[in-house]
Parts: sequence; structure tokens; C-alpha cells
Amino acid sequence: MKKIISIISLIILCRSLQSQISTIIPSSNSIASTSVSDTRNWTAFNNPAMIGYPDKPELGILIENRYLLPELSTKGIQFDYPTEYINTGISFSYFGYSLYHEMLIGLGFARNFSDKFAMGVQFNYYTAFFSASNSYRGAILPQIGLSVFLSSDFSIGFSTFNPFQTNIKTEYVVKRLPSIFSAGTACFFSHDFVWRTQLDKEVSSNYRFATGFEYQLVQSVMIKLGTYNSGYLVPCLGAGFNTGLFRLDLNCEMHPLLGLNTLAAIKYRFGR
Amino acid sequence: MKRLIIFPVLILFCSYPARAQEAISVIDQTIADIFEQYAAESEETVDYDSFYEDLIQCSENPINLNKATRNDLEQLPFLTDVQIENILAYVYQSGPMHTVFELQLIDGFDMTDIRRMLPFIFTGEGGDPHKHIYWRDLLKYGKNELYFRLDKGLETKEGYQFTPEEDVNTPETTSTGYQGNEMYHSVKYRFHYKDRIQVGISAEKDAGEQFWGSDHKGYDFYSFHAQFNDIGRFKKIVAGDFRANFGQGLVLHNAFGIGKTSYVLNVTTRNSGLTKYSSMNENNFFRGAGFTFQTGKFNLSAFYSNKMIDGDTLNGTFPTILKTGYHRTPQELKTKNTVNEQIIGGNATYTNMNLQAGLTLVHTSLDNKLAPDKSVYNYFYFSGDRQSTGGIFYRLRCLKLNFFGETAMTGHAAMATVNGCYFNPVSKVSLVILHRYYSPEYDTFYASSFSETSRINNETGLYIGTVVHPFRKWKFAAYADSYRFPWPKYGIDAPSIGKDYLFQADYSAKRNISMFWRFKFQEKQTNVSNAGAVMALVVPIQKTSLKYNLTYSFGNFSFKNVLEGNLSHRSGSAWTYGITACQDVSFSLKSFPLKLDVRYQFFDAVEYENRFYSYEKDVLYAFSIPMYYGLGSRYYLNLRYEMTKNLSFWFKLAQTVYADDRESMGTGNEAISGNRKTDVRLLVKWEF
Repeated sequence: MKKIISIISLIILCRSLQSQISTIIPSSNSIASTSVSDTRNWTAFNNPAMIGYPDKPELGILIENRYLLPELSTKGIQFDYPTEYINTGISFSYFGYSLYHEMLIGLGFARNFSDKFAMGVQFNYYTAFFSASNSYRGAILPQIGLSVFLSSDFSIGFSTFNPFQTNIKTEYVVKRLPSIFSAGTACFFSHDFVWRTQLDKEVSSNYRFATGFEYQLVQSVMIKLGTYNSGYLVPCLGAGFNTGLFRLDLNCEMHPLLGLNTLAAIKYRFGR
Repeated sequence: MKRLIIFPVLILFCSYPARAQEAISVIDQTIADIFEQYAAESEETVDYDSFYEDLIQCSENPINLNKATRNDLEQLPFLTDVQIENILAYVYQSGPMHTVFELQLIDGFDMTDIRRMLPFIFTGEGGDPHKHIYWRDLLKYGKNELYFRLDKGLETKEGYQFTPEEDVNTPETTSTGYQGNEMYHSVKYRFHYKDRIQVGISAEKDAGEQFWGSDHKGYDFYSFHAQFNDIGRFKKIVAGDFRANFGQGLVLHNAFGIGKTSYVLNVTTRNSGLTKYSSMNENNFFRGAGFTFQTGKFNLSAFYSNKMIDGDTLNGTFPTILKTGYHRTPQELKTKNTVNEQIIGGNATYTNMNLQAGLTLVHTSLDNKLAPDKSVYNYFYFSGDRQSTGGIFYRLRCLKLNFFGETAMTGHAAMATVNGCYFNPVSKVSLVILHRYYSPEYDTFYASSFSETSRINNETGLYIGTVVHPFRKWKFAAYADSYRFPWPKYGIDAPSIGKDYLFQADYSAKRNISMFWRFKFQEKQTNVSNAGAVMALVVPIQKTSLKYNLTYSFGNFSFKNVLEGNLSHRSGSAWTYGITACQDVSFSLKSFPLKLDVRYQFFDAVEYENRFYSYEKDVLYAFSIPMYYGLGSRYYLNLRYEMTKNLSFWFKLAQTVYADDRESMGTGNEAISGNRKTDVRLLVKWEF
């Protein structure tokens, strides 16, 4: 009897893995957006603890196009400046088009503690254009992140966006802002090959589970493969090119119903 | 150093008498692993005969790893493309292996994989494959085998209740019952000389078909096959009944078509070329002759087939090709061998170390026009009396990536393409990604490739699979597949999507104890049962299942325990469940040549969606993967007795009993009164 109950409970738990993540937060450079534990590649508005890892200043821009519709694209820019005691990151993201758009600006601080763990906090200002009142309305949203290396080959990451569930209220509408909790793991089978998993939970949506592999094929070329479940099973494929100073990431996701999502990100690393 | 080599070699050769038994055990487990899942997904009957026989043949003529080609290694279905590539690369780079246990040095192999391969491989210098064949060698070393098999169900089916002889007032032409008796019997003769010559004749009568009467005399199905390997400049010559498998199967592949199973990396079809057909399945083969000619790095194949197929012809047309092979009733007899099918085809393949590329062309011609009764779902199905199809396939190895694919097109410019990549970044991890696009208009006769359904048509999808060996004795396998049908399908009156994923963890605690846990989730769409709906409406239907399988052996006994549960849910309906538990015991006596298999299985599947498939041991060359739904139990006893070195008997007695108060089972002529179904099988094998 116990076995039957355990089986049924496990099946029901596994059955409920579906979710959506907000469009204002750009998908990350990591395959299948498994960025919460990606210590090698910080993406704007993903885990702020990752701001603590770069040891040289980095400037990056990102463009994400959803379902080949320009109106649904997200553009972002980020800058990371490391110092001896703390790293500082500035991020900006724009979603939408002239008749409707949202913007997110963030200032983050993080520190890497001898590559054992890193902690970060980011203060974001969200603003959106409301046509009813013909004005912009905004709110401040905090973001916290943590990354821990349990061993040299295995790390876990955790982050939360808008943990206090702040919303925007106007005379006519209440715009609910996403409140997201993420946890993930990264397992390094070798220096060149990593497997990451991530579980996201947006407060009023179901879970999203993602997994992905990234492999450094040769010194300058990386290939990526992954998938995530958000109501539909979405396979992901990507590539990365690294010349030492420049890093280019290209990711594609194939939604079975809505079509192709693409993301292109380029980063410049100052100094050698 | 010599001892290190000699000792394992001695062990290998001393264990040879046990290899045949181990081969059958490995084949049984492979069939259970692959076909149990395949039977659950496939709409068509799977042909196990050829699969089983090819593996038995392989165990009797093991592959020399030091001389093997890709085609040789592809005979082992449990080897992935990555493993095959790694073996070939290892031998090329490091020279011949001294012992099979050098496989441990090759990426992608663990001890479980190596033990599974042992009955089918060896390492050595090997003989000359082109050695001349003398008649005295054929007579001295050739093996002859004769099989006779008999099956009977003990309960009388509706189709046998009134035969024409019993009811003299019933005109034969209006009788809907079976014309023959309840027995299935078949006879097979096989001759083979090493792996160079294989010849055989088969004859079969299904239950209900007339063996000797007014409608028919003799067996219902006859088959002859002959295959000659490495004869002069010809790599292969086939005559009689044969199969043709080229590329990824988008043009020609009438062997077993791969699908989604726990062998997550096995997603490509095997490019085995022309091969003999020795199965009792009355469809899906060619009848004629063909050859493969090797010149340098090119293999050139050509074949011609001319055979009769079943169809309900009327005024020069027929709506569908009938594939059951049954000719039991007057109506079924009317459709027997009514359409002539001629096929001519060819293939050219270029192979070098890192690249294999080929072109396949085939033209099919019918003497009656195929004209399906048009509906929405089959709007694009082929209609006409001739079709040409061509395809280009490739395999390319580059660094640690192995690319594969095929693109095919019919004469009406309908396209299908499948492309993918294997990837083995570190020894512990293997990955595969496969994309397929089959346009709704692409519909050919003998295509079989990776797909959600058995038809290569109207589908697009992306599949990702991975196998990870995280720790010693553990293996994780997983796949995720997302697909779409852009046009309605049978039972789905609108474009639809689906997804499924599997995760399996295998643990080999010791050599005699192993287990696995398998979790599977699938979601498809299906019609809403609403006769009043104005527009087609489809809803998702989900099924989640969890299975635990434990096998262990002690001395002469071996055991297997299976526990499986599933939950199914159609949108708008309640969840339904299914549970099954099974205990297998096998016992073989050492002092007496008798082997016994016993099973007891309980099942409780509330709805048809909760049904189970369970592989059973059976008489030689017979395969059971029965489907269970309802409430009940099943048990069987399977015996094998080797009376002499040349004479063996198999016997199986099986019964299914339902406990859900049903008063009959089956429908139409297959209906049985009561809640029990009992089957008996007997097979005799004589080697000389």
C-alpha cells in the first residue's frame, strides 16, 4: 500500500511542472535559461550573485526576439565593474514597442568569497507605459542571489526577483509584477563540459523545470543543448564563440505551437 | 603480460558452451527493453522474427571486433552509433584488440554494455571473408534446422461456432465465420553455412484459415529466401523474399523501425542494405532478387520485386492495402493476392573513415489504382498506381560530433527530412539531438524512420536524449521529445501537438542483481467525444507512469519482479489509474536438460488508456507482448526440453483470467464467452 501511495504522490508532483517567466526579464545567455547556477556568464537580471565572478570589466548587449515578432522582443545592456572588495553591475532592459513597452533598470552589488561562494543584491526600478492614463508608472523591486560551490565540480545557485510581490497600482488597473524564485545546480563533468538544471517558480504560475548542457568544443567554440517545460516542452540549441576579448552567444528555442525564439548576446571584456 | 592476455582469453573460450544460453538471455532482455515500449506506441504489429533470428545468427557467427565494419557492428541493436564509431576509431588508431575486455578502454562502454555484447563478439585475426566455398565444406559444416510449431486457444471463439460443414443450410458465400479450424501451425527449414550462405523455406497457416478444403489447399503463406555474402565481387546476393534498408529509412526501410525507448541514443535506423527475409509476417518484404556490388569505397545495390498483395479491389481500384495477412473468412479470402506490386530500386553509398553518403531511388508500380476513401485526415495520402521516391543520406564524423541525416522527396515534390547529431563530450556523458520534418503530403510505401507514429507523414518534432554514467554501477538515461502534427490525423480532427519524456535510472548492484526505475510522461491531443460539435475540438490526454524492475539470480534460479503504475487524464474527465505487478521465476536443471519459466501477473487498468504491455518468454521464435486492461491476472508456464543434442521441444501454457465480472472477451469472430482465455503452444526443433 505504501508503495502505491508513494508512486501516486511522485507522479502527481512530477505532473505539476509548468510555468511562465516574465517577458521583461530577458532570457539568459545560458542554454534553456539555466543561469541561476552559471558562474561563468552573468546575464542582466538573472542571479545577481554572478556579478561577483568576473575579474575584469565586461560590457554586454543582448537582443531577444520571440516568435519572430519584433513587438515581442527584449533588448538589454549590462556592465560589470569589479573592484578589490565588491563588484558592481548595471543593467537595463526594454521590452515592447511604441504603443506598449516596459523598462527595467538595475544596480547590483556582489562579492565572490574566495570562489567558495558568492552573494549579490540588486535594486531594480521597473516602469511601464499605461495608455489609459498616458503616463509611466514604476516600482522598485529588489533581487537577491547566492551561489555556492559544494565541491570543485558541483555548485548550486539560488535567486529571487521581487520577493515582496510588489505591484503597480493605477487609477484603473493593478499591474501584477512577477515574483520569481529560482534554484539550480551546475555539475562540471570536466572543465569543458557542464550540465545545469534549474527550477523556477513564479508565485502565481506553475513551476518551470529546465536542464541544459554546454560543451567547449574547441578553445573558441561552445555548443549548447537543453530543454525546458513551461506548459509545452521547448527544446533549445545554442552556440558560443569566444575570442578572449569578445564573447558571442546565440541561443534558439523551438516552441511547438508558437515557433522560434532567438537570442543573441555579445560581451566585451576589457583588458587581457 | 602474456598471462593478462591468455587468462581472459581462456575464460572466454571455456565459457563458449554457455554463450548460446547467454545469447538467448541477452536477446530476450533486449526484446523486452525495446519492444515492450514500442508495442505500446506502435499501431502496427511488430515483426520480431527477423530481429530475433538475426541476433541468434550473430551469436552463432560472432563478430570479430578487429575486422568488423560499421555494417557488421550495426547488427547489434543495443550498440549506439557513438559506441560503434568509438570501436572503429579505437581499432584504427590503436591496432587490433587482444581481448574483448579492452572495450573498457573505449569511451561509452561500461561492464554492463560489455557483458551484453560478449555472446556476439570476439577478438582475433579472423578468417578470409572471401575464401572460396567448396561443396564438401557446405556438406560438412553447413547446418540444417527444421522447426514445427503448433498453437491453439482452448476456448472456442465465435468465428468457429458454426462452420459450413455443420450448418448445411448456410450458403458458404454468406458465412462470416472462419473457414478453417482453430489451430495455427507452421513449418520452417533453414540452412546456413557460417555467415556466408543462408537459405530457408517457411510455410504458415493462421488460426481460422483453411488448410485443406474447398476454398484453399495447403498453407496460406509460403516464403523462400536465400542470401549469399562475399561471393566473388558481390558483397551480397539475395533471392526470394528479402528486405532493403538504406539511409535513415525515409525511402526504404522495411525492417524494425526505431522509436522512442529506454535505449535513448538509438534513434537512427541501421543502413543494413539488402537482407534475407525469414519472418512469418505476410507483409513488409520484397519478393524477387537483388545484389550489392563493392567497388573501392562504393557499394552499389539494385533490386527488383514482384509480388501480390491483398486489397479489396473493385473496378480497378482498391481503398487500402490490407496488411493483417489473415484469410479466414470468405470476405478475407476474396481480398487475397488481388493486386500486383512491382518495385525496382537502387542505392549507391560512398564510405570512408569519417564520411558515409548515399543516394537511394525506388519506383513502385501497382496494377490496380490505390484510391483511399477520402476524408480530412487522409486527404494527402498517396493515391494512384505508381510512385517514385528518392533520397540522399549522410553520416559525418567531425571531432566529437557525429552528424547524420536524410532528405527524401516523392515524384510530387513532397519532402521529408531527418537530421541529427550524436555527441560524446566526455566518457561519462552521451547526447543526441534529432529533428524531423515529414510533410503531410509525403506518403510512401516502405519508409520507416524515427517518428511518433508508425507512418512517416505529417509530423515535425525535436528530440533530445542523453545517457550519463555519474557513478560506478549507475546509469541515467533520459529523453525529451516535442512534436507537432500540422494536419489532422486519424482520431485527431485538428492540427495537434504533443510531448513526452522519459527518465530511467539503472543500477547494477552485482553481476547477478540489477534493477531500474523508469518514469515516463506523455501528453497528446485527441478528439472530444462530442457528436454535436460544429468545429473539430481536440483536448489533451496525459499519461504518467512509473515502473520498477528487479532481476536477480542465484544458482539455477533466476527471478524478476516488476511493479508498474500509471495515471491517465483526459481534459474534462477524472483521473484514472492502472497498476500491475509481476513475478517471474526461471529454473534450469543442470543434470537434466530442462528449463522452466513461470510467471504470475496481476493487473488493474481502469480504462483503455491505462493499459499495460508486458513481454513474456515464449517458445523459440514466438513472441508475446500481450496487452492488458481491466482487472485480472495472467500466468504461464514455459518449458524447454532438449531431448537429444539435435532434438528440442518447447511448450507453453498461458491463461488470462478477468475478475471484473465480464461475460465475454473480444468482438466479432474473436469473441469468447466467459472470463478466461487459455493458449497452448508447442514447438519442435530438429538440427541435422
